[in-house]
Amino acid sequence: MSLPVQLYCWHFMAYPYLSKDFDETQETGWVTVPNSLWDRTKARGLYQEYIDQLAYGDRLGFDGMVLNEHHQNIYGLMPSPNLIAAALTQATTRGKIVVLGNLLPLHLNPLRVAEEYAMLDNMSNGRIIAGLAPGAGAETFNYDIPSVATREQFWEAVDLIARAWTEDGPFAHEGKWYPLRYVNPWPKPMQTPHPPIWIPGSRSKSTLVNVAKRGYAFFLSSRSHGEETAKSQREFAQIIESVGDKYQPFRMGILLSVYVGETDRQAKEEAREGIWYFLKNCLKGHLRRTGRQLTFGPGVPYIAPKDFRAFLEHSKPNSKLLGDADSWEELEKSNSIVIGDSETVYRRLSKLIEESQCGNLLIQFHMGNMPQDIVRKSMKRFMENVAPRLREESKVMYAERYSRELENPRAVVGAAR
Amino acid sequence: MSARSTMETARAGATARVIDVCGRKVEVLESGSGAPLVYLHGFMDVHGLKPDVMAFHEKLATAGRVIAPAHPGVGRTDENPDIVAIEDVVFHYLEVLDALELKRFDLIGHGVGGWIAAELAARHPEKVARLVLIDAMGLFVPGQPTGDIFMMAQPSDGGSNVSLRELLFRNPRDALANQLVPDGRGDIDEELRRYQMLRFASWVGFKPPYFYNRALTNRLHRIAAPALVVWGDKDRMVPIAHGKRYAELLPGCMGLKIVKDAGHSVIAEQPDAVAALVTEFLA
Repeated sequence: MSLPVQLYCWHFMAYPYLSKDFDETQETGWVTVPNSLWDRTKARGLYQEYIDQLAYGDRLGFDGMVLNEHHQNIYGLMPSPNLIAAALTQATTRGKIVVLGNLLPLHLNPLRVAEEYAMLDNMSNGRIIAGLAPGAGAETFNYDIPSVATREQFWEAVDLIARAWTEDGPFAHEGKWYPLRYVNPWPKPMQTPHPPIWIPGSRSKSTLVNVAKRGYAFFLSSRSHGEETAKSQREFAQIIESVGDKYQPFRMGILLSVYVGETDRQAKEEAREGIWYFLKNCLKGHLRRTGRQLTFGPGVPYIAPKDFRAFLEHSKPNSKLLGDADSWEELEKSNSIVIGDSETVYRRLSKLIEESQCGNLLIQFHMGNMPQDIVRKSMKRFMENVAPRLREESKVMYAERYSRELENPRAVVGAAR
Repeated sequence: MSARSTMETARAGATARVIDVCGRKVEVLESGSGAPLVYLHGFMDVHGLKPDVMAFHEKLATAGRVIAPAHPGVGRTDENPDIVAIEDVVFHYLEVLDALELKRFDLIGHGVGGWIAAELAARHPEKVARLVLIDAMGLFVPGQPTGDIFMMAQPSDGGSNVSLRELLFRNPRDALANQLVPDGRGDIDEELRRYQMLRFASWVGFKPPYFYNRALTNRLHRIAAPALVVWGDKDRMVPIAHGKRYAELLPGCMGLKIVKDAGHSVIAEQPDAVAALVTEFLA
């Protein structure tokens, strides 16, 4: 069995109506960004526009659509991605619906997540990919979750959800954080043994080990690709082998942003406003040094002190993050925002697929305040002129390198064994 | 239970040792002699920032035998996985006191250490000879929330720690504030201690109740011991209204002493003034 690279269309659903002076006047786009900036009139129809873009992606032939959960920010207007997923179950017919993911420590009860994903799996005829995530710094501020406990809570919740999907109920869960007398969800999910589980993370070894030994897929949440991404892949592959399994490319995914134009120059011209809106506004408070960065640091002390010491010893407080890029050249170096004509985008993604050996490419097409017509044009050019070549050559490559590992048909989405 | 010392290190001004408490390591600094005086630290304090006693603690040691344990997960004290709320911290300290064989002592606490001291004294008033609270959290005072030290501890514009200094010191531009909480990458050991201290504090202050226990208000009446409440006049972490409330609620309180030109880190900013108030009270 041979399968090509899986190409997913990712949408953050950013708030696109900020004024031009946002970066000058606001400290952050997250948590404390005043919601007096929300414009009810302009926002009419916004969700419909975004849902339509994803449904359009489904018609163009993407392998799936990706949503995620964020709270109280301008970066992503999906505090409940499951609501958008529910809409997509009715507006689309073929692609996978990836929710990446529900932020488990923010939910009072993991059973609710197990139930909602099971509903979505039935509503979509088995198209759900269930992302489960612990939530980064900003979200712990939003929901008052002491981040020091989140990893422990997260893995307890993950295991409870997987058990709720695979083991007949009712059973009791004796957990530290989520004890439950009666676990007995109706409905059960449609897919067997359960919807594929994807877990995002940075390069923390304990995360990689936890994902590997459960047979789930790993989504590398880094926003710069290249040697570091390849290194993460090798590390993950080694860890998978150490737990007696074999790596294959659908065990791992990465996120990047793409704009495809008619020419390199036209691509930059068309994408310019949306991209810089995304970098300077949406990433302010997250992947940007200017303003207050909430994603990681001493106020969200979830990593062990010895790991924090290593971080202090090896990092520079002023090193640039993705949103600190000041030029197209710097952006190009990040290798996670790819802008150009079909040829350029094909060349760079082909290299990325080869180097990273990641079989799930999650691609953001809508950036910041990008108008819908140009987003759609870029998606169309991608599917017509870039995707076929990537699919063809990756299929050959995977068949050569992973023929045995891919015998299991569920391997394509990294499902549990 | 006896206090078994597993490590002895002589330091300037104080003796450091690591004792065993029910299988967990607890670091304890001691200095001075005489009647036992238990000191529970705050943020910009011994253990919370510095491995050794500071000027304030040296002066305090003229009033007795100062015994200063480091909170769980801070310095060389092990994290205690049973801790998820203030109740568990108080129980941890009961075990520490047992291990140190301390039956009755003077009790001083600063910041989050002051909250622990008040909780401990309300439960075991018989153990506490005299109580001193310095810029202590712990009370719920309507309309007077404590600062969000967790968000303020997140650097801005790369490496600026101005918001943390603003919260913890009288003036974020002061030399002392900048020395203790510098911008950019500071002393790694001190940054790590700050991190450990925030990690410990997050169990009792990140989620609601944010550094308070509503029930404490109606429990303080049990503390008959003479008490002193000391506050920096520019404390933005714990508003002075909390100090006034403590002074009203503690039956043996000799009054609220306000120290001028000091923020939450009053023991670092005005060590002489605070030490003079406390040693006079304990004399």
